[in-house]
Amino acid sequence: MTTLQVVAPTLEVAVSVALLSFVVVVAVLTAVVRDVLTAVVVFAAYSLGLAILWVLFHAPDVGLTEAAVGAGVTTALFLLAISQTVRPAGGRTLVDPRTVKPSSVVVALGVTVGLLLTVPALPPVGAADTPAFGPVSDFYLADAADRGVDNAVTAVLVVYRGFDTFGEIAVVFAAAVAVLAALGRETLA
Amino acid sequence: MSDRNRSEGADDTTTRTRSEFTDSPVVTTTVRLLAPFVLTYGLFTLFHGTASVGGGFQGGVVGGAMVITVAFAFGIRPTAEWLDERALVALVVAGPVVFGVVALAGLASGGAFLQLDVLPIPKATVYATEAIEIGIGATVAAVIVVLFLRIADGYREPTVETPADLEGPGDADPSVGAGGASDD
Repeated sequence: MTTLQVVAPTLEVAVSVALLSFVVVVAVLTAVVRDVLTAVVVFAAYSLGLAILWVLFHAPDVGLTEAAVGAGVTTALFLLAISQTVRPAGGRTLVDPRTVKPSSVVVALGVTVGLLLTVPALPPVGAADTPAFGPVSDFYLADAADRGVDNAVTAVLVVYRGFDTFGEIAVVFAAAVAVLAALGRETLA
Repeated sequence: MSDRNRSEGADDTTTRTRSEFTDSPVVTTTVRLLAPFVLTYGLFTLFHGTASVGGGFQGGVVGGAMVITVAFAFGIRPTAEWLDERALVALVVAGPVVFGVVALAGLASGGAFLQLDVLPIPKATVYATEAIEIGIGATVAAVIVVLFLRIADGYREPTVETPADLEGPGDADPSVGAGGASDD
């Protein structure tokens, strides 16, 4: 019984729809634009749109991460990588459709349709019987406040799921070690 | 037809030249003015992670991004020489080390691995979390800067070499080379 409820056209809904449309448009543009620099900038706009969406969905921690990592640092690293490439002069703005491999289109469409097929299996928005509203989250919210950690996200990351976070920081550390080892230079400057 | 001619003629392609400095005073002035505020915001996000939005990852990324912004405005090479290499490596190591120490401290205090509330300090969970967050922030910020500088350098010829580097190419002593040049 996952019937779509008619949502009231509030300002929040309007902004959500606008942002979601924007994100879809820039996602498609990232794929079809011909100039790589344009693609990188459009991809940053995609991340920024997602970041605002996260804030709108009351997930400011994720939004902050998306804005800083997705729109900021990733863009900078991409810019570095393409700064050594050659930019074609003039020409068309979008990719010539005749140069696109049909198999790529089939794979992209297959993945998209496959993902969309799983959407009806999701619980409706705000459903009371989802795990998010179970006793576990109540415990986390109450216990984190008792311990003096007001930000429940930080509490989950460090206090309750510390082992996972330990692994994550090990991965970040390994990234630096791998880059220094792969590029064969131990000095930075 | 015209597309083929364009792709064959090397003179018609405009190569993206890498300039060490931005010529625009607008960019450099803006970055110079904004950098302290961005860094302050990053540190606030880092230190205030237990009480409000953010934490080590977010604060660290904002701090690292500030250094990248400075590098884009004032040149990657000067920024790399401005940074203290040993401090950067120490920051990279800080996160795993702090996390491991706090985790083992829980074990030593009679609790489990990573059990924070048994530590013999007031408000143990809060301060242990803060310590871990600061470690995470240090590692994330430093790793971002290291990735940026290494990738920026890895794709091009080593143009700037100090005489000490040229004499001993296999010498990995960190006291010679660019690390020593930043001591002026």
